Amino acid sequence: MNLVPVTYKGGIYRHDEIIDLIEDLGGYIIQKHLIAQEVVLQALVPKEDIPLIASIAKPLMGEIIPSPLVGTEIAVVSMSLEIHHLPHASCDVAEYIRRFGAKSNMVGLARGFGKRIAQLNDEERDVINEHDLAVYLLGDFEACIKQKFPVLRRGIEIPIVVCGGPSRETLEKIIDPPVDGYVGNVGRFMHRTKESEELAKLDEVVDEITRVLDRKRDEIAKDPPSVSPARLMDVINEHVNEIHDVLSPTPITVQMTGLRVKLPYDTFALVLKDIPLEGGVTIGEVTDIVPSRMRDYILVRIRPFSETNIMV
Amino acid sequence: MEAVEYFEVECPEKTGGDYYRRIADVVLLDHNLIRVIKKLHIFIDPTVPLFIAVGVTKKIPRVIRITDFADVLVKEQKVTISIGDETYLAPLLKILWERYGKENVEQPDRFTIVLTMENADMRAIEELPVYDPSESIYKDLIYALQVIQPEGFKVRRQYYGKEKFYLVASEDTLPENIEEMVKEKFSLMGEHL
Repeated sequence: MNLVPVTYKGGIYRHDEIIDLIEDLGGYIIQKHLIAQEVVLQALVPKEDIPLIASIAKPLMGEIIPSPLVGTEIAVVSMSLEIHHLPHASCDVAEYIRRFGAKSNMVGLARGFGKRIAQLNDEERDVINEHDLAVYLLGDFEACIKQKFPVLRRGIEIPIVVCGGPSRETLEKIIDPPVDGYVGNVGRFMHRTKESEELAKLDEVVDEITRVLDRKRDEIAKDPPSVSPARLMDVINEHVNEIHDVLSPTPITVQMTGLRVKLPYDTFALVLKDIPLEGGVTIGEVTDIVPSRMRDYILVRIRPFSETNIMV
Repeated sequence: MEAVEYFEVECPEKTGGDYYRRIADVVLLDHNLIRVIKKLHIFIDPTVPLFIAVGVTKKIPRVIRITDFADVLVKEQKVTISIGDETYLAPLLKILWERYGKENVEQPDRFTIVLTMENADMRAIEELPVYDPSESIYKDLIYALQVIQPEGFKVRRQYYGKEKFYLVASEDTLPENIEEMVKEKFSLMGEHL
């Protein structure tokens, strides 16, 4: 079954029917927002059933839109959290990719600013590595990017998309070894992005992220995880009651090959490990459960099929 | 930036310079400083790295006195000040408390202050300076320039006064001939420090 990421938008009236439908079809609800009278569902649904969901949603005035970034966690790396970079540039990008379903986290570096003095510490490096992709928002000057970027990417193993003031071609030229994606002309700016050409630039950022993630998905498909992250989320939701008391918008964040469970590691790591999945297989057998560097959360990394020889 | 007589951003990287022109424009507009600035020249060299901003302000509004925003009435031992514009009420009260003591300053309602004192001099009270805009304007200007400059330039030197100001900043120690460089930038605008 081929699950595709979609967003459902509709009224609150009878929206539970849509949730039931998606679950009955074998899809998964990743996130549910209730905003006044409106419901926004981010879900993974079987590709062939999209027309069915659309036809059932139609009398409820609901619409279903493909959103390529649902089920991914993206780090938006800002050089600092000073007024020079906030709220515009950093927040505009982080917010915009959220509209396409991504769970974006802003990582403000402690000493990312400057040219010679830019640094990346081990905590920042590890936090960034816990994501599916990192978007680096760099400044306006070619000379600075050329000197500081090698320092800022040291130890980063996930795909990187670089945004900077110089044109795309210049960025490609000065960054060596190459990164996975580039977006030019999105450097430091101090105004809100609301004109159409600026929004087009943000669309370009989203397109670049989608392109890079699609490539990563193809890579993952060659050696798929032993269990789908969305399914694992469902199982944890069912077995661990405490997760329902967590107040974050996504108590369990779905990534491409793992989950971030927002419960304390010390108390719940063993509990998660022993949860049965199917046919006597427990979560501990198909995943690595490690402490996250973000607060005291748990990071569940699903091992690929080639390692476990189990597919549930 | 039409209101500014002279505004240039000088930078060896053209695209970077263009972005900084826009940044400077937006920041000054956001801080309500466009109307204060007469000339502004910004020089950025990311290779050194060095940031120099030099400028000239327009005539700064004069010191605000009580008579500018209130009426003073002296009657026997009572001085009544009726406020027209509340903007300067807070600094005025602070000055009055300091000068005459809190027990002698009464405020029966928002727009009235009553002072109790022997043989008051009406003129002296009317001419009391309450607020000096130039002080805060220069502070705001330097703050805005710090927002405009690339982040991480922690070594700074700044100057303001006599309708001129400058800010130089860098990541490294400032070059020895920095004063001459500043003077040179002033001369580009047809001014001298």
